[in-house]
Amino acid sequence: MKALCWQGKNKLSVESVDDPKILSSGDAILKITRTAICGSDLHLYDGYIPTMEPGDILGHEFMGEVVETGPKVENLKVGDRVVVPFTISCGHCFFCKTQQWSLCDNSNPNAWMAEKLYGFSGSGLFGYSHMLGGYAGGQAQYVRVPFADVGPLKVPQDLNDEQVLFLSDIFPTGYMAAENCDIKIGDVVAVWGCGPVGQFAIRSAFMLGAEKVIAIDRVHERLSMARQAKADIINYAEVDDVVEELKWMTGGRGPDACIDAVGMEAHANTLPGWYDKTKQSLRVAFDRPTVLRQAIQACRKGGTVSIPGVYGGFLDKIPFGAGFAKALTFKMGQTHVHKYLRPLLERIQNGEIDPAFVITHRLPLEEAPNAYQFFRDKQQECIKVVLDPWAQAA
Amino acid sequence: MTITTDLNTQLSKSNSRPQNSRSKKLSAALLLGGAGLAALGLSRRGWQRISLAAAGAYLGYEGINQTRAFSGTARVSYTIGREPEEVYRFIRDSANWPKFSAALKMDPQRNSFILTLGRPFGMKIHSHAEVTDEQEGKFIAWSSLPGVLEHRGVVHFFPAPGGRGTEVSVALEYKIPGRMFSKSLALVRGKDPEQSVRETLRVLKQIMECGEHPTVTGQPSGKRGFKGAALRVMYREPQPEPPSAPGEAQLAGD
Ligand SMILES: NC(=O)c1ccc[n+]([C@@H]2O[C@H](COP(=O)([O-])OP(=O)(O)OC[C@H]3O[C@@H](n4cnc5c(N)ncnc54)[C@H](O)[C@@H]3O)[C@@H](O)[C@H]2O)c1
Ligand SMILES: [Zn+2]
Ligand SMILES: [Zn+2]
Repeated sequence: MKALCWQGKNKLSVESVDDPKILSSGDAILKITRTAICGSDLHLYDGYIPTMEPGDILGHEFMGEVVETGPKVENLKVGDRVVVPFTISCGHCFFCKTQQWSLCDNSNPNAWMAEKLYGFSGSGLFGYSHMLGGYAGGQAQYVRVPFADVGPLKVPQDLNDEQVLFLSDIFPTGYMAAENCDIKIGDVVAVWGCGPVGQFAIRSAFMLGAEKVIAIDRVHERLSMARQAKADIINYAEVDDVVEELKWMTGGRGPDACIDAVGMEAHANTLPGWYDKTKQSLRVAFDRPTVLRQAIQACRKGGTVSIPGVYGGFLDKIPFGAGFAKALTFKMGQTHVHKYLRPLLERIQNGEIDPAFVITHRLPLEEAPNAYQFFRDKQQECIKVVLDPWAQAA
Repeated sequence: MTITTDLNTQLSKSNSRPQNSRSKKLSAALLLGGAGLAALGLSRRGWQRISLAAAGAYLGYEGINQTRAFSGTARVSYTIGREPEEVYRFIRDSANWPKFSAALKMDPQRNSFILTLGRPFGMKIHSHAEVTDEQEGKFIAWSSLPGVLEHRGVVHFFPAPGGRGTEVSVALEYKIPGRMFSKSLALVRGKDPEQSVRETLRVLKQIMECGEHPTVTGQPSGKRGFKGAALRVMYREPQPEPPSAPGEAQLAGD
């Protein structure tokens, strides 16, 4: 089959590789019909996630048709059309049973690596480093899905691929980010980053009752997509100080909740920003926490800072004192995707949202290396790329 | 050395680690080599920077470790979402052993079991051991019979709070021949005793909680190249990838 392989920092190639096989009794094999590139993939592309190996197959947002099932699989049969959570969960451990699916105890075959770095290991993820399982990803024509009775969601025939594909990650991620804000009627929520995750966080915050959402980015098409959702916007490249601007826009209170939908690769043209960038390029730090600092500083007293953006290591110069002084609540983590599949599918079926709004590019798999580059560099007005692994390159 | 079935006294026992001048010299050499590699690593770009620095740090760490002889204690505790009696019965039944450990076998001749430790270059150490004391659903204590490898320990099964199953606690002492090199190589291959126990308990938990052990052995990949192959060794991943039969539990160890 054809698959997109990581060959090093900024080096991707579409290669011919073996088809995946059933390796464990609970596995299923999918023929992938659509797969997407995520902002999280950019952290791999840019070489910021440790324990990648050349040859690793990327991709964690995908859906497709079941073509084979392991002997223990009961809920799926050949021909079923499913969308698959990017987090791999066993369904039986304490964390799975308490809906904390991305913390599954049993799905990471390389748990020891994550334990060395973080003390404990979360769930395995598709196509996201060996520390997080080393599972081959889904930017490919076929994929093996472990614990196939637990994760995959069968998709109703009246919904097309593009409407449900993002249940695999970014819709639940944006939704959980908003849910973590514990939104009350009348709340003001600020969202840093108007990438795909930010877009879903903005829409979810409104769904959950926010009165006003303030979206922050500097990329025009992303800001205008936020405006289409009725968010107020701040172009951070055009204001002196985002924190002051937010105070100004909230009657001096600060937003009730702040969502960091940017994560470890935030840009900043300020002195601390260059300091972060230098440290990151020397690999003494994984993260550039510009946005997190602003979110903590801006949040109103007693508010919540919700962090869907990914961080990997030890963060420098975090104003923890401000967090303490204002009695802030912090919520974060990989998304518990399984928990949100059905409720969010319902919202799609009810017509409350059509997740396809975020797609700007539809391309064959061959174009993926190129697409990573223009998606990262915010060229061609790219916001979200969906790949068809079976389409012929033009 | 006597071992009791009381976990606490065992674990608080001080752990003497004799040193000799040879191991001190080796230790100094490893530390220097480690610092050198780390410095070289930091002067390079890209993955070389990371892997050389990591290898350097590793040697440095080994250097510090070499001042200890290769005997010691290990303790690992793991919570398994099953009742203590169930876990006890599962472990006590040697028919289940292959499901979670490749190192444990029943000795059909004697009323004892055999622990096999893999060593680099294909050598293996076999050690006979027997259960010295036990109480159903509570604990199992064992001790090695005379041989090159000495080890003894106890597995306790405590009910976990909040109905979360069983806290399986393993505490053991060991003495392994071959000293320094066997240890550094064993560590590279993931065979450090404490880590081995932890990995075995992890598989036991996976088998008992979800009936299967997750694996990525045998999945496709693009061209690994020299760098990829080297990283696979560093990350203790099987190399080359052997095919494995579907539906079979993977064995602990590798
Ligand atoms: N928690 C999870 O489970 C989960 C799941 C998916 C994605 N993520 C993470 O969410 C983050 C966003 O993902 P995405 O797909 O939207 O990525 P993306 O790269 O498309 O979007 C990031 C956006 O942040 C903007 N940005 C950069 N610096 C900024 C700053 N200083 N202030 C305001 N905006 C800034 C960029 O212009 C860009 O529009 C990533 O870190 C990704 O890894 C987390
Ligand atoms: Zn993603
Ligand atoms: Zn689980």
